[in-house]
Amino acid sequence: MLTEKSMPALSNEERNFLAPVGYEDDARRSGTCILVDQSVRYVHSEDPQVEIMPLKDALGLYSWVQDLMFGLISPDENEHVKLAAERTEDPVGHFVRVREGAKVRLPLQTFSVIGTPQGRQFIHDITVIEKGAEVEMISGSAVPESVRAGHHVSIGEAYIHEGAVCRSLTIEQWGVDMDIHSYNRTKVGAGARVSSNQVLVAPVKHHASNSVSFLGENAVANDHSVVFAPAGANRIMRSETHLNGKGARSESLTRMVTAGGSITNEARLVGEAADTYGFLGCDGLKMTDEGEILSVPALLARHSKSQLSHEASVGMISEEKMAYLMSSGMSEDLARDLIVEGFLNLKEQDLPSEVRSSVKAMIEAAKSGSM
Amino acid sequence: MAEQILGIRGLDVAAKGVPILRAVDLEIGAGEVHVLFGPNGSGKSTLLSAIMGLPPYVVSAGEIRLGGERIDGLAIDERARRGIGMAFQRPPAIDGVTVEDFSQTLGSADILHREAASLDLADFAARHINVGFSGGEVKRWEVFKLFLQDPRLLLFDEPESGVDLEHISAVGDAINRLMRTPNRAGEARSALIITHTGFILDYIEADVGHVMIDGHIVRSGEPRALFESIQKHGYKTMQP
Ligand SMILES: Nc1ncnc2c1ncn2[C@@H]1O[C@H](COP(=O)(O)OP(=O)(O)O)[C@@H](O)[C@H]1O
Ligand SMILES: [Mg+2]
Repeated sequence: MLTEKSMPALSNEERNFLAPVGYEDDARRSGTCILVDQSVRYVHSEDPQVEIMPLKDALGLYSWVQDLMFGLISPDENEHVKLAAERTEDPVGHFVRVREGAKVRLPLQTFSVIGTPQGRQFIHDITVIEKGAEVEMISGSAVPESVRAGHHVSIGEAYIHEGAVCRSLTIEQWGVDMDIHSYNRTKVGAGARVSSNQVLVAPVKHHASNSVSFLGENAVANDHSVVFAPAGANRIMRSETHLNGKGARSESLTRMVTAGGSITNEARLVGEAADTYGFLGCDGLKMTDEGEILSVPALLARHSKSQLSHEASVGMISEEKMAYLMSSGMSEDLARDLIVEGFLNLKEQDLPSEVRSSVKAMIEAAKSGSM
Repeated sequence: MAEQILGIRGLDVAAKGVPILRAVDLEIGAGEVHVLFGPNGSGKSTLLSAIMGLPPYVVSAGEIRLGGERIDGLAIDERARRGIGMAFQRPPAIDGVTVEDFSQTLGSADILHREAASLDLADFAARHINVGFSGGEVKRWEVFKLFLQDPRLLLFDEPESGVDLEHISAVGDAINRLMRTPNRAGEARSALIITHTGFILDYIEADVGHVMIDGHIVRSGEPRALFESIQKHGYKTMQP
């Protein structure tokens, strides 16, 4: 087992590239797990209500963990998942467990890092938030400045039990030439509430995310994603939300901006039970003539008492709005930034202030590279 | 006449190939307030937009000068930085951009907190610009916006229309206050105010009035006398 003694503290360099995606020192977190390439680089928790450890250790410690692995995703879902399921090496990933009824005061943080150029990463994460527990999770990815290319495949399975409350923030910052595939499955128990903020703004070559969530009786899910594609970036997002239990509710808002890259967003809402309610909002903004946004919201009502709706829009930055702001003396660049930031709604995102400024900086950097 | 701030000569303006203004001449001196009357659709907003440089209006003949300098070829923000500010008749709503963001970007957050109460906008810092504002709130914000900038030439497009009686004097006072205080460079301000109703004349001291009909300024003179004549006889007698 990995012990803290065998695990050197994080270097300043590591802290520096993790801070913009939400990393904070142990004193301000209830638990920390950092994966670098194919190993668990750092894991720590002093909170007795939180268990955080390498997945391999959890499999040895608790026999029930094996049932959670591939509990929400089938090993033959597709080539990637199959490859992961058939790997003979020990699984690499984190296991997070928040104990029943715990009200965890400090956020819990988990990060994936590709630390070497052309690094390969296969990750399987398991998260369990037990009955009635409340926790805030911060997760993300980062790479040192010297690393541009690499390949990451991750599978995440999250079990949010009855009555639990989970707020999460995910910020991903990969390298410009990276190829990223992520599969997330979430099961939300009766009366549980999850709200997640996702920030995908940094340059990346190809990022395909595929997420499915299942909501139990009276469960509530609120998602808010901001997505930015600089020139050269290709993002494909597929998501499915199943309102399985009576009275389940889901609201999902996605704001997408392209400065030359391509974004595909296919979001599907499935009403499986009575008195379910779901809303999808998918809005796209084009900053230049280059690049494209494909927004495909889909609604599938399997129950007559399921109320589902969506709104979608894709358009260029309005000339009228630009003229209005510029008539106050703002330069064209300032006016455009203000409109884009407003559109991405960074304010409404529950971002810690230091993260908000790093998100702005990421957009800034990505834009100047692509325009 | 005082030093000339705005000088428009022989101005023709078109939008999307359709001519709207023709042969407009207008001069405004430092410290002067001019009002512009005219029926709906006569081209009043087009004139203000052309001075500000807003799309889709294109100057097809003539010239616009600010403080002697030709500005009709300049970008909108360059005109604004040279001292032109405009309170829009129908401004766009800017989703996600708060009044506070706007002020900070202009470097005038201090003014926001000092002056907002005078136009009953004290609670507006976190509101998104013009999103869900009532007709009157839009007008008050548009006037207030000029405090956040530092214009030398103020353009108001129907600042009183849609404003309830309770606030109309606040709008009038705000315009007066802007006019009384010189800009940061110590220059006296000038204003061109479009009024459809003429109400604004009860609150401000206007120096010169103009009547625009069919894209042309057909008469100029003492503003109250002009307005009374319009009220009595309508615009018909003023046809060129
Ligand atoms: N963007 C535009 N495209 C085409 N025609 C326009 C445009 N803006 C104004 N016009 C036309 O020009 C004329 C003057 O409009 P406007 O300046 O708004 O008048 P006013 O402000 O005096 O009511 C109207 O006939 C109007 O339809
Ligand atoms: Mg008008």
